[in-house]
This record gives sequence, C-alpha cells and structure tokens, in this order.
Amino acid sequence: MTFLEYLQSRRTLLLAQTLEHATIVLTAVAIATVVGVLIGVATYRHRRGRAIAVAVAAAILTIPSFALLGLLIPPLGLGYVPPLIALTLYAVLPILRNTVVGLTEIDPALREAARGIGMGPLRRLATVEIPLAWPVILAGIRVSTQMTMGIAAIAAYVGGPGLGHQIFSGLANLGGVNSLNQALVGTLGVVILALAVDLCLALLGVLTRPGRGARSAARNPRSAPPAGAAATAGTAH
Amino acid sequence: MSDDVMISLDHVSKRYRGQKVPAVENVSMTIHRGEIVVLVGPSGCGKTTTMKMINRLIEPSSGRITLDGADVTSLNPTELRRRIGYVIQQGGLFPHMSVATNIGMVPRMLGWDRRRIDARVDELLDLVGLEPGQFRNRLPQQLSGGQQQRVGVARALAADPPVMLMDEPFGATDPLTREHLQNEFLRLQEKLQKTIVFVTHDFDEAIKMGSRIAVLGERSRIRQFDTPERLLAAPADETVAQFIGAGASLKQLNLRRVGSIAYDEAHLVTSQESPAAVLRHLDESGDWAVLTVDGERRPLRWVGPRDLRPERDTLDGVGIPAPTVEPRATLRDALDAMLTCGCGAAVVVDDAGRYRGVLGIDRLMRAITEMRETERSRDRGVAEASYYRPPMPRTLAAPAQRGGAR
Repeated sequence: MTFLEYLQSRRTLLLAQTLEHATIVLTAVAIATVVGVLIGVATYRHRRGRAIAVAVAAAILTIPSFALLGLLIPPLGLGYVPPLIALTLYAVLPILRNTVVGLTEIDPALREAARGIGMGPLRRLATVEIPLAWPVILAGIRVSTQMTMGIAAIAAYVGGPGLGHQIFSGLANLGGVNSLNQALVGTLGVVILALAVDLCLALLGVLTRPGRGARSAARNPRSAPPAGAAATAGTAH
Repeated sequence: MSDDVMISLDHVSKRYRGQKVPAVENVSMTIHRGEIVVLVGPSGCGKTTTMKMINRLIEPSSGRITLDGADVTSLNPTELRRRIGYVIQQGGLFPHMSVATNIGMVPRMLGWDRRRIDARVDELLDLVGLEPGQFRNRLPQQLSGGQQQRVGVARALAADPPVMLMDEPFGATDPLTREHLQNEFLRLQEKLQKTIVFVTHDFDEAIKMGSRIAVLGERSRIRQFDTPERLLAAPADETVAQFIGAGASLKQLNLRRVGSIAYDEAHLVTSQESPAAVLRHLDESGDWAVLTVDGERRPLRWVGPRDLRPERDTLDGVGIPAPTVEPRATLRDALDAMLTCGCGAAVVVDDAGRYRGVLGIDRLMRAITEMRETERSRDRGVAEASYYRPPMPRTLAAPAQRGGAR
C-alpha cells in the first residue's frame, strides 16, 4: 500500500486521532494559560516570588516526558487524565515567563498614571496591564502549543489520545506492512497540525492586538513617534 | 482656616523605610482656590513626592493634608484620585486605547452613561484645541508629543475636578511646543479657575505659570513661597538667588504678557501686490518693511526695500518669515522671537493666527523700563503686605493699556 492509499483507507480514524490530538493540546494550553497568567500576575511584583515561580516551572519542564507520563500512571491510571496533566505542567513555563516579562516591561509611568486617575488594582490589571502585556503572553502561548504538540504524541504510551498511536504502532512493527506509513503519517500529522494551530494563534494575535501596535508602545514607551510619522508607525511588527 | 483654602499641608513629612534622611521634611503650605502654585526646585528635592502625597500616590509618614477641608487620609484613595485631575509628562496616555477612551476613563469609572461621556469627550477635545472628528478615534502614538500632552490635560479635566496636580506636564516637548502649550493652558485656566499644583524644575516655566511659587530645597524644605514678582525682586536667601540664576531682570520679562502692552501697526499687503507699489509705499512712509499676509490676514513675511526686485510681478516668497507671538506669550517669548529672525519685531496674532499688531523692540524696551520703575516704587511702598495675590488672569491684572491694535 502506498502512503496515499494508506491515508485514504484510514481516513476516518486519522481524522478522529488528529482531532483528539488537537483537543488535548488545546485543553492543556488553555488550562496552562489560566494557571500561568494567574501565577504571573500574583508574583511579578515581587522579585523573589517571580524567581521561584519561574524556577519551579523550569524544573518541571526538565522532567523527561516519558518519565512524567509513566510516573502519573500509578496515582491516576491510564487514559486521558495523566497526559492532560503532564501537558498542562509543561505548557505553564513559557506562558508564565512571558506573563512576568510582559507585565514587568510596562512603563511604570503608565501604571502610575492609572493609579493617579483613580483606578483600583483589579481595574488596572484588567484594563491596562493585561491588555498591554497580552502580545507577549500570546507569544508564550504559541511556544507552549508548539511544544506540547510534540509531547502529546508520547501520550499514546499511557493510553492517551491522539496521533501518537500511529507513531507507536508503526515503530513497534517496523518492517511490517504499513508500519512505515503509520509512523510517517503520525509524525507528519503532528507537524501539520502544529503549523495549522500556530497559524490560528497568529491570527488571534492580529485580531486581539491591543489597539493597533500597542505592543511597541508597551516595550518602548519613551519613544513617542514624531508628529506625522505616527500614522504609519503602528504596524511595524 | 478660611473658605478660600483648597489644599493645606500641615507639617507633612515622608520618610522611606531604610533611609536615614526623610525625602520630605516638615512641609507646611496652604493653597488657595483658583491659584496655580508651582513647586520648583532641583531634581531630587522631593517636589514630586510632596505633590503625590496630596492624591495619596505616596502616603505621608506624618502630618496632615486636607483637601477642601477634609483630611485626605480619611478618604478612599481611589475615590479621592478621581476627584483630582492628574497630568504627567507626555500625558501618560494608555497606548492601547483611543483618545476618546483615554479621556473618558474617569467618567466611566464614575458611572456616567455613554452619551454623556461621548459628549464630554468632544467638548474637552474642543477645549484643548483638537478637532473631535479627527482625533477622537486615534491612538496616542498617532499623535505628536504636544497633542498627547493636550489629551493628557483633557483626560485630567474629564470629570471637572476642582483640583489638578501636574507633574512636569510640558517637560517632554520641544521649546516651541512647550511655549504654545503653556499659553494655551493659561488661557484655559482663565476660564476654568482650577486649583493647580504644578511641579517643574524649570524656573522660567515657574515664573510664567505660577500665581505663587514655592522654591524648594533639599527634603522639600520651602526656601521661599511667594508671587513671581516678589521672588524675582527679593529672593529670600543666597540659594534662592542662585536658583533664580543670572539675569533676574531678564527673567522679569516672563512676568508680562504681550497682550498687556500697546502694539504698533504694520502696513499689510498681500503677496499679489506689485513690488513697485511696495517700494513707493516704503519711500513715502519711511517704514522699514511691509508685512505680507494671506487671505485670512495671517502674517507671512517681512519685506524690506532690499528684498524687492522691481522686475517681478508679485511678492511671492520674498522677504524673511515673520515670527509670531500670541497675546498670552510673555515678553521674553517675544524677545526670543525677535532675536531668532533678527528683524527686531514680532507680529502679534490672535488664536486663529490672524494679524493683530506688531510688537517692536523699542516698545519692548519701554515696557522693561516701565517695569523697573514700578518695581522700585513698589519696593518703597508696600513692605509688609500679604503677598498672596488673588487669582486673576495676569493679562488682566497687569496695568492695562492694550492699545487698540486695529
């Protein structure tokens, strides 16, 4: 069977597995975004606190995924939950780190202006700080998504969902009928899915850009553009 | 304490943890309704800290600050700040929000409805000289520095607070824009009569803007708190004198406005006039030059006999560009303008930039002489009066002899 014939014959299964793969990754990243942003917001003002938070997240990321998935089996069993937790843990670091960076890069004068006109802490966070840090946070989300796409393939090892099944069964029967096709389709599927999701996130970035070009302003707030040059300066990213 | 007092600081100090000397030590001052009090001093002297204690961006370690009779520490800080306009360098505009959203921020927090906010935003944009239709939906970074500053002022005025705190508001703009913004702001203040605390390190700006000026030393200690006139005429001590700097008499030029002295008239011509006719006029009248204006009577150029080429048909592009000043500009601004063009005269224009008259260097000299004479007689006369000058637009307060310039 050629590669194309294989694709054709397993169409339904492959589509289902791709969908599962995307679902578990996006769920994990969504949870990690909430967790990462919350921890980032809670710790970014304190040098110690944010150092510890980032260090812990970084330490988690160094645990080999195979080992982490395996270690989660005894308490949680096989299936959907252990890979979801593992993926979430891995996805936290880039988001957390970018949240902290995004928030600390905001011009202190802006923060004070917000305070000075009578905004409370929560309102400041919601209307000024998070929107200004958002492009940086979103960049973290994209990194997390790319990273967990690959790791999710290993979830099949503990009975998790996704394209990992194709890869694992292909590699297990290497030399057998269709084994190469299986490994290839699994791998390519993950890559294509990752690119597609990243494209969507990039689009989301364009749609949610705070104002047009507020990102450059958040990073370099002192450089007010000269008169006249301003109209076109917004989109230089 | 009289009803006239808007803000009072009573033995206020600020001591930061871990620092031996306090940042602000034992400052007391009262600020009256409707006046602009300028805090001026070298950088790091604690003037900004002093100001920020009024809206509790910084909490005083000891002492009492009252706003309209109420102790500020008894008020909720965010609510207190919504009642006090706050302007910082470059406006402190939120870069991700449109001009309208920035200006409408405080009214929104106060729960105004949308229609009222929109109307107020347009009203304020008009007030600060920005066309609402054109600027409402722009982002701050699509504005020039001066425009950002104007929006910053509009945002501070949004909920019509009685008190404004301004921290080096015009500091980040180029000298020309700054002068323009200052004049504009003084014009606004004539209308609005806010109580304003204004922080700057620029003494010339202090003289121009202040009803009264507090010269601060280290730890925000008040070295002298007086009207600009008194400050220049009688600095309290060596340090104040040093801070005023050389040329105190030159700085007195900052005290009088162009609008307070009489103008001369220039012979106005349009660019279409023939050089021959102009030459004839100059010969007959003995004028040194004529002024070309556009269709709206906005001044363009000075044209003297040497600029004229009889063989040409029009005056297009002939002569030297004529510097202009507004009636609200100080005599010093006018002198600057004259020196820049080297023609010894500045054209006075109204808000729309139309011709109102000409201020010549001889008029200026006469005004200076006059100022020095009144100075001398006043020093003999009033020795122990209260130096608090009721807030009154200085253009009106100055001896009026606004010549019928037309």
